[in-house]
Amino acid sequence: MVMVDGVQMAGTSLNSLDLNSVERVEVVQGAAAASIFGAQGANGVIQIFTKKGKEGKLNIDFSSSVASNQFLNVGNLRKANLHGFATNANNEVIGGSGNPLVQDPATLVYSENVIFNNIDPTTNINKPYDRNLQYHDHIKEFFTSAQTTNYSLSISGGSKNGDFSLSASNNKQESNFRGDGYNDRTNFTSNVGINLAKGLKLRSITQLVYTKNTVDLYNKQDFGLNNLVFGIFNARPFVDYNLLDTKGNHAYYYGDASGVNQTNPNYTLQYQDSDDRKVDIVQSFNLNYAFPKYVDVDLKYGINHQNRSVEYIAYNQSDNDNSNDQAAFVSWYAGDNLGEMTNFTFKNTFQNFLANTTAKFDFKEDFKMSLPIKSVTQIAFDYRKDVRGEYFTSGVGIPLDPPLTANQATTYSIRRDFSTEFVTYGYLISQRFEYGDIAGLSAGFRSDYSSAFGEGSKPFTFPRGDAFFRVSGLNFWDGSSIGNVILDWKFRAAYGEAGIQPQPYDRFPTLSTRTLGSTGSLYFGPGQSNPALDVEVSKEIEIGTDMTFQGLGGNWLTNITFSPTYWKRSTDNAIFRIDAAPSTGIGTILDNAFSLSSTGLQAALTASVYSGSNITWNTAINWSQQSSQIDEVKGGAEVVVVSSAGSSNYVLKAGDKIGQLYGFKLLRSLDAISPLTGQPYIAPADRPLYEVASNGYVVNIASKQPFFTPERSSFGNPYPKFNMSFINDFTYKNFLTFGIQVDWVQGSHLYNQTKEWMYRDGIHSDYTRPITINGETGAWSAFYRGVYAQRQANGTKDYFYEDASFVRLRNVAIGIDFAKLFDIKMSRLQLVLTGRNLWTKTDYTGMDPEISSGTTNSAWDRGTDHNTLPNFKTYQATLNIGF
Amino acid sequence: MKRIKIFSLVIVLLTLNACEDQLDIKNPNQPTPESARTERGIVAFAQGGVYVNGFWSLKYTDGVPGRFWTGAIGYHELMGDVIGIEAANWFMNQVAMPDQVIHDDGEIVLNPASPANQKDLINQVNVNSNQGNNPLFHEWAAMYGMNNACNVTLSLVDDVEFLGNADVKKNTIKAWCYFWKGFAYSRIGSMYVAGIINDEPLTSNGNYVTKEQIIAEAEVNFAKAETLLNGLSAGGEFDDILGALIPSICQVGKGMVLTPAMWIRNINTLRARNILVNTHAADMTPAQWTQILNLTNNGVGANDYTFTLRSNANGDIMSSTTGNIPAKTFGTTAQGGTYKVSERLIQDFKLGDQRLANNFAQGTAWLGNADRGNSFNTRWALRNGGDGLDGVVVMCDRSDGAYELYCVGFYEENELMKAEALINGAGSVDAGLTIIDGIRTLQGAGLAAVSGTGLTQTEAREELRRERRVVLAFRGFAFYDARRWGVLAGGRTGAVVIKKNGVISTNATINYNFFEYWSVPDNELAYNPPAAGSAAVVSEN
Repeated sequence: MVMVDGVQMAGTSLNSLDLNSVERVEVVQGAAAASIFGAQGANGVIQIFTKKGKEGKLNIDFSSSVASNQFLNVGNLRKANLHGFATNANNEVIGGSGNPLVQDPATLVYSENVIFNNIDPTTNINKPYDRNLQYHDHIKEFFTSAQTTNYSLSISGGSKNGDFSLSASNNKQESNFRGDGYNDRTNFTSNVGINLAKGLKLRSITQLVYTKNTVDLYNKQDFGLNNLVFGIFNARPFVDYNLLDTKGNHAYYYGDASGVNQTNPNYTLQYQDSDDRKVDIVQSFNLNYAFPKYVDVDLKYGINHQNRSVEYIAYNQSDNDNSNDQAAFVSWYAGDNLGEMTNFTFKNTFQNFLANTTAKFDFKEDFKMSLPIKSVTQIAFDYRKDVRGEYFTSGVGIPLDPPLTANQATTYSIRRDFSTEFVTYGYLISQRFEYGDIAGLSAGFRSDYSSAFGEGSKPFTFPRGDAFFRVSGLNFWDGSSIGNVILDWKFRAAYGEAGIQPQPYDRFPTLSTRTLGSTGSLYFGPGQSNPALDVEVSKEIEIGTDMTFQGLGGNWLTNITFSPTYWKRSTDNAIFRIDAAPSTGIGTILDNAFSLSSTGLQAALTASVYSGSNITWNTAINWSQQSSQIDEVKGGAEVVVVSSAGSSNYVLKAGDKIGQLYGFKLLRSLDAISPLTGQPYIAPADRPLYEVASNGYVVNIASKQPFFTPERSSFGNPYPKFNMSFINDFTYKNFLTFGIQVDWVQGSHLYNQTKEWMYRDGIHSDYTRPITINGETGAWSAFYRGVYAQRQANGTKDYFYEDASFVRLRNVAIGIDFAKLFDIKMSRLQLVLTGRNLWTKTDYTGMDPEISSGTTNSAWDRGTDHNTLPNFKTYQATLNIGF
Repeated sequence: MKRIKIFSLVIVLLTLNACEDQLDIKNPNQPTPESARTERGIVAFAQGGVYVNGFWSLKYTDGVPGRFWTGAIGYHELMGDVIGIEAANWFMNQVAMPDQVIHDDGEIVLNPASPANQKDLINQVNVNSNQGNNPLFHEWAAMYGMNNACNVTLSLVDDVEFLGNADVKKNTIKAWCYFWKGFAYSRIGSMYVAGIINDEPLTSNGNYVTKEQIIAEAEVNFAKAETLLNGLSAGGEFDDILGALIPSICQVGKGMVLTPAMWIRNINTLRARNILVNTHAADMTPAQWTQILNLTNNGVGANDYTFTLRSNANGDIMSSTTGNIPAKTFGTTAQGGTYKVSERLIQDFKLGDQRLANNFAQGTAWLGNADRGNSFNTRWALRNGGDGLDGVVVMCDRSDGAYELYCVGFYEENELMKAEALINGAGSVDAGLTIIDGIRTLQGAGLAAVSGTGLTQTEAREELRRERRVVLAFRGFAFYDARRWGVLAGGRTGAVVIKKNGVISTNATINYNFFEYWSVPDNELAYNPPAAGSAAVVSEN
């Protein structure tokens, strides 16, 4: 859940906000702290606070930056620059006819398939691409560096009557895919506070965002457009995507010789355009009245609206010879190459109303009691309404020549008309007592109604509470020997529960409709809702301590704080779609399928390492570790989780870690014993047929294929041993700043599915790596293909389960303020040079050890590198001017 | 202080009450199950149950194999060696890899996949977590989806108020349900070693019965449909309801609204099919041949309508370019589409058969990856719309509405079963050959008549075998035929096979060694384990 200035923002993406208008961001993890925000906060809350004007003089700030971004490829992922195809005496690659492969100039289709005897034990990947086929570096060709520019102007100020902050900004980011479009976003932000009367304040915060995105290709995963990255990675490296046919057009598919999983991105760029425009309005009003004493009433109303329209066009491709020849084309809905114009419209309006009354009493001052007790009572009401609509129209079959308007389409139809409405509201009551600064205790509950359960349903009520005890606040502490070392020491604990409600219509059984010609039919859709669905209950306990230590004295090591925290979260009745037996006629049904829990430990150490008159050096070290596991599978039914790791899904089992993979393991010694049978994997009599090859793997001498265990076993704990970051900030006098952040993740693993796919057809560069088997050294195709295909083609194999630990120079920035340096009459004239992800140390062989995405939108299939785009390496220059 | 607290609480409670009716939010996007309780609703539901639940919608889909008529039926044509496939989706390529190919020069090419045997592969991948990648899932789930929709329809239909002659309307809908239940059980019993007899809506039972009992259950349902149809007559409300059950786009060609008599003849063709495809040819008894002869004599006639599918521009029931096997096999070169033309289909055309000339183009051999074995390398491309030969059947047409897909039995199938019964059973070989000549004339084959030429029974069987291969190609019979002719178990000699280096063997031996019946898919077993006394759910051969 994202909250902006205390109001939930559910209709606008976090990426749409202007970072220049943000003052600070707070992240609240888990139900212990976030349950006061309601069911939506059960999984944590990101709170954003926008900048406010300050009383005093007018501030005008201008900022401009330009950045160059490039995809990382730290593992040097590349394709084999040698091949093992059948060739003639002239080293020309030939087909079954014996003739060299040529491309038809009209269709660009190869005359025939290559002959690739990839399991033949004599096939050696050692022939250069130096005759009829040439090597192309597709990764280099398509992944280019791109620019991001940012401009921002802000004016702020204030007086006794109120304050204001206005800003305008523009951010334009080009696609890093060659020849593709850009994303252009313009923001206007205002934050105006008016003091209406003594203690009565009205605030209005407005964000207007206009976004235009013309990126055609890879950015449309939210829509489900094909991930062309997979296509590029799996093209044979001799494919020349820049070729034009006799009419000057690109070709879509060059034939199976080019690799069966590839398509030409240039064709897509030529024949398809999309224009995605979004208008976002995030508006909130806040009326706050502080009574002279005791009570504070705060009312907030926020409305968040998004209107998004995507104009998609696939041009008529019927004059493209390749499209006609290969029956291949780009389209969204159209089943032929005659083109289409499709409009996707999304509208959503989200409203949030919060009424909050806080009563504060100080027993000492207000009631003249001797006890140093303070009381805070909070009563809050919270209402949320979310209305979403989707409307897609499409005209199929459009003319070859302009003007292209949808009314010229042969068939025009409405493809989707879908809306959802969701209302939830509830109240929170909380009572807090504090005893001086020594101890505090609060308890409360939150009760919520939800439209997912319909009218007349009961609310779900969950408790929360927290407490602290400051041992250093006790009398004996000051001046004691421990008090001289630990200046401040506080223990804290919090507990919270929250109920995560089912999605709007998850509990209402429905039929599906499908038009069959001129009439509509009804049928049972494959995914059924469940009227018995219950809320998913999340519980969290968090225990921690905060310590402040005595420094060394003088300039060195002051303000040392250390804050370790342990947390445990559990989720019961997790809502998941599970299978039903096909003979019931039901496909899958939503159910409260299992329970899971997570534990974590995190710690932060901060210190002023040095604070002199000219130089300051602050440091922060953050450390964390966590692990999640399945506790129980309800009702014993198999819960299958879709995984992209080796295209074998897994079944949730109580006690298993979430994300734990099971697969076939390569043998590394001839006498390895199966833990399952207690017998050697290779019977002693068969051992002469095998040997350990020079790369350390057991292979069959005759076939050169590796030996995998017949059973699947666990690859081990999928969680990293720890995550750490080291953050250091330096200032010199008042004009020079320097910051550096290094991140370290130890013991993490990634399933390199990108590589496994590239092993399928001999495309990955590993195929050129020589190995020695039975005294013969060569880049033996049979071994590499065997890694992919033995036991199960594209099965889950430990070979592709790689250590993805890394140390990364996350950020380095140097800033010089010329206004201060040369004493110019401006508040700021600062140049900042920033580098992100400039250096990484890792053994991972894919593009980026930080890639982590398997199945789209799956919380379970993590830790898989499946043709996912890596992070950027970025160089940025920023100029900040302030008056 | 107290007053303030009470005041705040009152505000909270007032707002709570004001909100309560806002919780009443129904799903506006989809109809509720109640919608099926009206006359229009029950007809729409009975229609969707067959065409959508049966042939289109499943929880696991993949665009490469496609939906029922290209995916589930694709396996039949792959294992029956009418088509080949390079793509590994749903393990399709491996499911169709023979154990070994012995070439003319004696070279033996073993199944290069791992596991190196189709049966081991199927046993390995028949696990629930494979979801849609389990080859065994698709036909089973589609047919039980259809069966369930019919069960739900039957459970609702008596409570629906109909205008006009309610009995005729109800009985037409009931006949529809029993017919399609019979069809679904026929497909289950002809493919899986065991099945479940289930007449309850939205639930199931763990009593697995043998495939023979499933076929018997198909007959129980066909008989119920026949009884109802005998009480109905063409025209009026019967036509109104059946005309609404059959999608309008299908009501062309052979897909027009049937009369009750035509419908019964369709049932007879399916009854004959159930006997024929589930008995090894060598084990057929004279009584069975007589039964087939009697049924086919009362089966689909030359002018009868049947149940068909047609494409339209929106691909409502079937896409014109990807919705049927020929459309997915089409290619301008032998590389074809998702599916490739098998050399073993081509070699089964007789020399000079115009159907070959009109529908297939010979070119440079397409050689697939060697790791796929080499049984699917081919020189042949399937043409789109034929080569324009006058009066010759067109096997692939990718324009909207052109291809007529027969869902159930059809005239040519009925005639070929009749011919086979005549050749093998109590009839005469020559009478069977006359039928084959008739089919060839109908399809414009341009072949000399074989009747009256004194062919022996063995030679006549070979004419029949080739004719079935050609006429029924791409229509989902190849696996059944390969099974009953002993090809799956015993292999095939004299085969044309192209080696991985392009050399063509014309007298190769292919040992397929495929399962003749499939095990019950684990997606069923995982959520509906067999009760005590159930039939074996795992296939032995």
